[in-house]
Amino acid sequence: MRLRVVAAGAACAALALGVSTASGVPARSASPHAAQATTLRVWLQVDAQQNWEGAVNAASNKFEASHPGTNVKVEYQTWNDHLTKFDASLAGNNAPDVIELGNTEMTKYMAAGAFADITSSKRSIPNSATWLKGLTESATYKGKLYGVPYYAGARGVIYRTDQYKAAGIKGTPKSLDQFQADLSKLQKKFGKDRRYSALYFPGQYWLASMSFVYDYGGQIATYKNGKWKGTLDSPQAIQALTRLKKIVRAYSRANKTGDEANPAQALVFAKGKVGSIIANGWEWGYALNKDTGNPGLADSIGAFPMPSHTPGKYMPTFLGGSDLAIPVTSRNKQLAVDWLKEFTGTDLMRYMATVGKVLPNTTSLANVHKTNKQIAPFAKAASASWFVPAAPNWVNVENKRIIRNMLVRIFSGRHSVASEAKKASQEITAELNRGS
Amino acid sequence: MSEAPSAPTTVAVGPAFAPARRPRRLGLRIGRGLVPYLLLAPAVAVIAAVLAYPLYLLGALSFQQYGLFELIRHEGKWIGTDNYSTILHDSQFWHVLLRTVVFTGLCVAFTMLFGTLIALLLVRLGGFMRLLLTSGLVLVWSMPVVVAVNIWIWMFDFEFGVVNYLLTKLHVGDYVHHDWFENPRTGLIIIGAIVVWGAIPFVAITLFAGLTQVPSELVEAASLDGAGPLRIFRDITVPILKPIFVILISLSIIWDFQVFNQVWIARGGQPTDEYFLMAIYAFVSSFRIQQYGLGSAIAVVMVLVMLVVTFVYIREMVRIGETQ
Repeated sequence: MRLRVVAAGAACAALALGVSTASGVPARSASPHAAQATTLRVWLQVDAQQNWEGAVNAASNKFEASHPGTNVKVEYQTWNDHLTKFDASLAGNNAPDVIELGNTEMTKYMAAGAFADITSSKRSIPNSATWLKGLTESATYKGKLYGVPYYAGARGVIYRTDQYKAAGIKGTPKSLDQFQADLSKLQKKFGKDRRYSALYFPGQYWLASMSFVYDYGGQIATYKNGKWKGTLDSPQAIQALTRLKKIVRAYSRANKTGDEANPAQALVFAKGKVGSIIANGWEWGYALNKDTGNPGLADSIGAFPMPSHTPGKYMPTFLGGSDLAIPVTSRNKQLAVDWLKEFTGTDLMRYMATVGKVLPNTTSLANVHKTNKQIAPFAKAASASWFVPAAPNWVNVENKRIIRNMLVRIFSGRHSVASEAKKASQEITAELNRGS
Repeated sequence: MSEAPSAPTTVAVGPAFAPARRPRRLGLRIGRGLVPYLLLAPAVAVIAAVLAYPLYLLGALSFQQYGLFELIRHEGKWIGTDNYSTILHDSQFWHVLLRTVVFTGLCVAFTMLFGTLIALLLVRLGGFMRLLLTSGLVLVWSMPVVVAVNIWIWMFDFEFGVVNYLLTKLHVGDYVHHDWFENPRTGLIIIGAIVVWGAIPFVAITLFAGLTQVPSELVEAASLDGAGPLRIFRDITVPILKPIFVILISLSIIWDFQVFNQVWIARGGQPTDEYFLMAIYAFVSSFRIQQYGLGSAIAVVMVLVMLVVTFVYIREMVRIGETQ
């Protein structure tokens, strides 16, 4: 017995020593070599992987060729948790050298000093004189540039031309009333199938919902006398939300607690029991994808800008998009800038725009889409747009899902528009005024 | 009396040392006295590194303003008990706490009920059926939570779920496009069912092991005296298995109070606030909005609440330990 105890103790001691030497040795021997191979770590969203991975690889190959001894490691992230992961990497001194952020996510990080100031490099970055104004603003804080505009996206209506025709609809709608009348015709013609939606609109689709609010002259929040105030309970916003509730309840059989990404609405559209969706330009391609979508729809798919309740105008679309920033913790800031110059160069931008169906980051490439019936409607829709309040804490409102929660409760019909809008506005006010 | 310093340590190491109580030379005695501490040292060091230090950090963080700004600079700002008063004045916190307590209570009750019934069934089954049922239980127990929850959620899917399909086919009602999660009460019941389903195997197998230790002569004597099965269960089985019941219930409370994955995965990573249980609330109001100080305070409060809830059981466990 005593022997066994002693043996166990010796084993423990040996193990402890072994661990300490094992962890100590490689760290020391690795450091002299570190300078030889520099790795540039880049975090991009999965959209790049799915739609323009060719551009990413081309940029990295060119960069590695002109910078011997460096290699680029691209890690693809998902929208749902990339900020949480980024925060953890900041805390652990393990942040990437380049990171893609949604344009609504930028402000909080810029305000907190998370990104390197690249104002002085601006001139040397391709097309920086003709960058999209909306994107440039989203990457600018207190007059300094903290990010490179990456791409933009605008939403329009993607629809089934054959179904519209069969329902006796001529031309595309020029007002919200007309659109609603068209939806009625569709629902009448096909709605006997209990799974059919004339307009597929999941309950948590907040970006499309807020377009209604801005169309009616409402706003999510306003800034006055140094204070933010949630304004989804303004008469205009309530009017818009009430109208939207009617449309959703009458023409959508989408899940009222779901969102547009799970399941991907383009794939639901591809299944055939949907007349129209409010979607980004690139979702057209998702719907026709030969593995997950339905290429057979290629001849019966079209798009038009979402019409406003004011006849002849477009409903403002959310100007979405992404920026590329360099975390302040990066030890390879100049290399990161060089990689960004390759990646956002004119040729690769054109590639992303044509293959990936996004709006390019520069107005100099606007012509790429002019003659393309698949993208032109979205480029047109982008002429009327809205953007989230420019509050440093805005992303908290998104991350706490305040607007989504409100919409689910409104569409489910269990709560009144006015009471839910009031509650959400109070929460938004509290969140935007929170000391950072 | 000279034995006194080493006496408790020999007890701690084990009964094997107890018989050797002859006086020895002083040096040897001190050496003997140190051995247990030396043996304990690695374990203590590991526990200190992985448990005590993080707990200390958590406690310290809960008194700081620690947001994104502080995260980047690796330096928090001391703000006393502000985080705690923020939580206690948040009406959502109290709603969530109540919801979590009810949710935990129901989950534990159903886990224990079904676990006990299955354990009783196992005792009465023949060899083959017992093997079959035990294998089923082990399979459930070994399935990763992520996989299990996703499969459950597919079954209850809005568009393609087999539950909606079957209920419609069987003419129970019109369940085409029935959204089980639109009403949070139904949704939480389904999530609770997933939690209970996953927790039953451990309870059932542990209780089965305990049941085999109930002396059969006691049961026979009781039934000869005319006691029915319920009476036997109440007056013989339960008292004998009480320590096991106490441990299982307290463990279940601790587990179910912190349910996170089931809700998170079932609601696609974006639960609406009607689905907030304590752990989700803590995550959303800290990580999601980068208020790590506030999140730490919530975690501390959670631990305190759990201590209160499990106090009775812990006291009971200590008593059992003393009497044995």
